[in-house]
Amino acid sequence: MEKKLTKEEVLHVAELARIAVTDEEIKKYQVELKKLLDDVEKINEVEGYDDEILIAPWSNHTDLREDAEGEMLEPKQVLENAPRHSGNYIQVPVVIGESEGA
Amino acid sequence: MKYLDKTITEIHELLKSKKIKPIDLVEEAYENIEKSDLNAYITLNKEEAIKKAKELENVEVDDNLLFGLPIAVKDNICTKGLLTTCASHMLDNFLPIYNATVVDKINAANMIIIGKTNMDEFAMGSSSRTSYFGAPHNPWNTDKISGGSSGGSASTIAARDVLFALGSDTGGSIRQPASYTGIVGMKPTYGRVSRYGLIAFASSLDQIGPMTKNVYENALLLNVISGHDKMDLTSIKEQDEDYTRLIGKNIKGMKIAIPNFFVSDIVDNEIINKIKKTAKTLEKMGAKVDYIDMKYLNHAVTLYQIIAMGEASSNLARFDGIRYGHSKENPKDIRDLYFGTRAEGFGKEVKRRIMVGSYLLSGKNAREYFYKALSIRDDMKQEFTNVFKKYDYIIGPTTTTTAYLLTDPMDDPRKSFMDDVLVIPVNMAGLPGLNMPIGFDKDHMPIGMQIIANSCEEAKIYQLASALEKELNLDLNPWGGKKDE
Repeated sequence: MEKKLTKEEVLHVAELARIAVTDEEIKKYQVELKKLLDDVEKINEVEGYDDEILIAPWSNHTDLREDAEGEMLEPKQVLENAPRHSGNYIQVPVVIGESEGA
Repeated sequence: MKYLDKTITEIHELLKSKKIKPIDLVEEAYENIEKSDLNAYITLNKEEAIKKAKELENVEVDDNLLFGLPIAVKDNICTKGLLTTCASHMLDNFLPIYNATVVDKINAANMIIIGKTNMDEFAMGSSSRTSYFGAPHNPWNTDKISGGSSGGSASTIAARDVLFALGSDTGGSIRQPASYTGIVGMKPTYGRVSRYGLIAFASSLDQIGPMTKNVYENALLLNVISGHDKMDLTSIKEQDEDYTRLIGKNIKGMKIAIPNFFVSDIVDNEIINKIKKTAKTLEKMGAKVDYIDMKYLNHAVTLYQIIAMGEASSNLARFDGIRYGHSKENPKDIRDLYFGTRAEGFGKEVKRRIMVGSYLLSGKNAREYFYKALSIRDDMKQEFTNVFKKYDYIIGPTTTTTAYLLTDPMDDPRKSFMDDVLVIPVNMAGLPGLNMPIGFDKDHMPIGMQIIANSCEEAKIYQLASALEKELNLDLNPWGGKKDE
């Protein structure tokens, strides 16, 4: 018997990732995600390291830019890539009220 | 007449003496691309490239050897007004409104962008087969993969379509396809090349780098694209060097380490033998080669799975169907818009990685996995630093096998990680690493070797690579003169 996640576990992960999944996909993910999650368990086999962490291999001091006015993007240009817009605004579905979503 | 087969200095002289014009090179590049038919490009930039070439006729040819030369750009690097898809349905209509810093730099060097190259979707994969637009082919055997994720860039360079291409390397995505296709690919030190305008996959690992057919041209392109950029917080400050400066110097007395893990049973025998033979060649050239043990190399894939998938899940959260990219039609509410857009827009590999990454960063898992991975990552970097106290270079094979068939199964989600087992450690530690071809297997598919050095030692890598390139003197034209018949 192939090792796999439960349907509920897959739905939980898909929820975290904000990705809709079909019943057929759930069946595949039960096996595929299990393989990857088993793989990452191997981290517990590593021994002898200290507590220091490396977030990024980079040693510059944080050097923030001056708080000065820079180049501005044209709203028209920005909106050209937006799937739905009206005037200078990007349109989104109703967020509060009509459904239990969000 | 073929100009792009000539050396870069020959082409430059022809341009300078006005015997040829940039448009001749651009036209030749498009002829090559159409003839080789490798699916290496997602978008061609023909109209603009011709326009730019004509404009350059009025510009005096300076001492910049790259003046007027065509270049291919991986499709995860933003080009203003030119489609930038990341090989994803999610961005198949995306027109960037600004240029990546590297694109501004290649424009400033008067290079001509010929098109955007095919790749694994969002650079996630090892064979470019996760591309929404189908996989590119390997010119050495068109039934085989050209590797990934910068597979299109590798394919078009190997095929001699153009001399220059940009790739990006998060866990080997420049070096591994370079190995499979017999070209030179450099992943520079983290921070060497600005990531501004590179569509992020895993921000602490991503780095843009040059892909070319030889070492010298590779160093020339790194000269153009490197440099401090205030738009990238992780950009290295005060860098201004000529990466070609050590090319031509001998390697007498250089100390080279080969980690035993790199020649262990995970690697095909034929490749191990080629590496050992190359090590002997390097010894004859005056270098000293030792086989050493390194404790953390075999854990790199696990660290990569945790760190790269974790960072990817966060970076790719921006694709929500609202500001740009694919968007679900007639969503019934905001939740439906998010979930539907991402279900429709992302491919299988990307979804898997986002899901696992989201899980690894959620709740107590962040400490259980992600934090632990960062701790081991620090020790892995320390181990490299210690090796470089005693050695100038670490070398080894770039890949465990040569390029495999495009039709090989894709059903094991771990396969794409294991293909990169030898190249991932370099990204973890932020080090520079280069692939160069060192020979062929029994089916005449290229075998590659990676050369790793300490942070910011790219020039030293080019020194070793060019010395060896000269010594090996391989015939690296996959068409073997047949293409023009």
